[in-house]
Amino acid sequence: MTAVISPPPGVRSRVRRSRPSITSHVFLTLLTLAFLVPVVWTIVSAFKPANDIIADPLGFNPATFNFENYRQMFTDVPIASGFLNTTVVLVFKGAITLFFAPLAGYAFAKYDFRFKNLLFGTVLVTLMLPIIVLIIPMLLEMKELGWINTYQALILPGSVDAFAIFWMRQVISAVPDELLDAARVDGCGEFGIFWRVVLPVIRPGIAGLAVLTVMNIYNDFVWPVVVTTTDRMQTLQVVLSTLAQNISGNKIGADYAHVTGELLAASSIALLPLLIVFIVLQKHFINGILAGSVKG
Amino acid sequence: MTVTTATTVSPTAPRASQRGPRGSLLRRRSAPYLFILPFIAMFAAFTIYPLIFTFRLSFTNWHGEGAARWIGWDNYTYLLSNPDFWASLATSGVLWLLIVPTQVIVGLVAAVVLNNAKLKARGFYRTTFIVPFVTPLVAIAQIWIVVFDQNYGAVNSLLNLLGLPDIGWLTTTTWSKPTLALLFLWKTTGFAVIILLSGLQSIDTTLYEAASMDGATRIRQLWSITVPLMRRTIMFLVVLQTLAVFQMFAEPYVVTKGGPYGSTTTAGLYLYNHITVADLGTGAANSFLLVIVVMALSLFFVRLLRARD
Repeated sequence: MTAVISPPPGVRSRVRRSRPSITSHVFLTLLTLAFLVPVVWTIVSAFKPANDIIADPLGFNPATFNFENYRQMFTDVPIASGFLNTTVVLVFKGAITLFFAPLAGYAFAKYDFRFKNLLFGTVLVTLMLPIIVLIIPMLLEMKELGWINTYQALILPGSVDAFAIFWMRQVISAVPDELLDAARVDGCGEFGIFWRVVLPVIRPGIAGLAVLTVMNIYNDFVWPVVVTTTDRMQTLQVVLSTLAQNISGNKIGADYAHVTGELLAASSIALLPLLIVFIVLQKHFINGILAGSVKG
Repeated sequence: MTVTTATTVSPTAPRASQRGPRGSLLRRRSAPYLFILPFIAMFAAFTIYPLIFTFRLSFTNWHGEGAARWIGWDNYTYLLSNPDFWASLATSGVLWLLIVPTQVIVGLVAAVVLNNAKLKARGFYRTTFIVPFVTPLVAIAQIWIVVFDQNYGAVNSLLNLLGLPDIGWLTTTTWSKPTLALLFLWKTTGFAVIILLSGLQSIDTTLYEAASMDGATRIRQLWSITVPLMRRTIMFLVVLQTLAVFQMFAEPYVVTKGGPYGSTTTAGLYLYNHITVADLGTGAANSFLLVIVVMALSLFFVRLLRARD
């Protein structure tokens, strides 16, 4: 830090701002390492023989690398069905969010209707609620409906959530009214205006919502763990979490090594898809995160 | 409650409709109701109804079966006089102290450094900062178990290489909270940097030029220009993370199950534990107490950071 503090006397501000000091680079490099090392270590270690992972966690010998942990993991862990379930939920829940949230946001942004302010106020208040508050009654509701271990239980709750509505209202408010009126004069119906004028205009906002939605659904854990009780319906994250339970209940010798190996293989496979999507769609991700952070 | 709303046609004409063609007037009035209907249905079914249900439940002794008995404020008084309830809040409080100040300071410094347009590899740094944010929490929580294992973990191997003794990261009450805090910091600090960076980019750079001509040091600039102007963004981050820390559930659930000796039983996990033993009335009361705590803390920080104006 110290090198950043004191500029040499007589050097003008512009010059100083243009030269990031060595300390800045060291600081950033250390942070970058801290962020990357756990992920890289996981991906690399998954290729090591299971016994080596626990005997020498820092060892690196590419000659011994193999796919044994992956092979073992695929036979022991229902990871394929986890991926399948997550994909189903992702497609349907994502589609529902990306269609109905902008639609409701459009109504809130561009129309006057009864109870609009009361309704929107309620939406804002629920943004502050801990999700856990709703878990008990939701679980009972699912039992009542007979929805435990069903896709609808994984898909419908939270699919049109308050935050998405709030965000889409903000985005659509910025669309000029003249544009909508022009479409109206051209004989466009109300839904037509939404579909053919509003949606194309707010495409960047939709892209941001899309990445954030995909990420939230892919990583969702608390709700799926509550509404799924069978292996067959578990999503990827739930499948993963059961592996950790095996580890804490099975902490001896060779078994521990094998479970650890499988766990690292499963974790690598679970984190790669999102990582790749993120690197490709980085800009939208950052926009999504920034807009999403308004949630508080 | 909402079905009637949806079918009622507003008596007052929408503001913009005076400009539209006459034929579409009726459709234009009914359109918004149709547009919000799916949202209203979901919101009523999966947010409002459960909320009212929880509230009623918090005054009963219901255990998931049979008839619920109304017991008034008993669940609330039971919790408020229960040392475990207060211990769970204290645990979350300690985690807050370990997490939020560190994150704000590290995040602010990183954001200031990253904001320098002449910095090489800016995009690369920014990308790596988001990697933890897109890593599934469950995956990284499990990696934490493996990496911080007392006997076989990579962290203790590293310490041994440096000639230091093993540390029981997840097995001693001294280290369990810092290890959990580290997991939270790893997962969310990059996100904090992105938020702070967006706040930083709205600051007028000429202020810094004026300040450095007056001989203000970098640290002084950070303290006298950046921090005051960033107050809203910092406040926003603090409130956001306060909500997250006090609701923290998945991290201790996966990594420590609340142990050792309850040292990582956060407010969120304590609440969940009522559910696992089917003590639903108490769990519901606990939910509302937690909401009150979280809202009070948020308001406190909003006030605190505003008062400095």
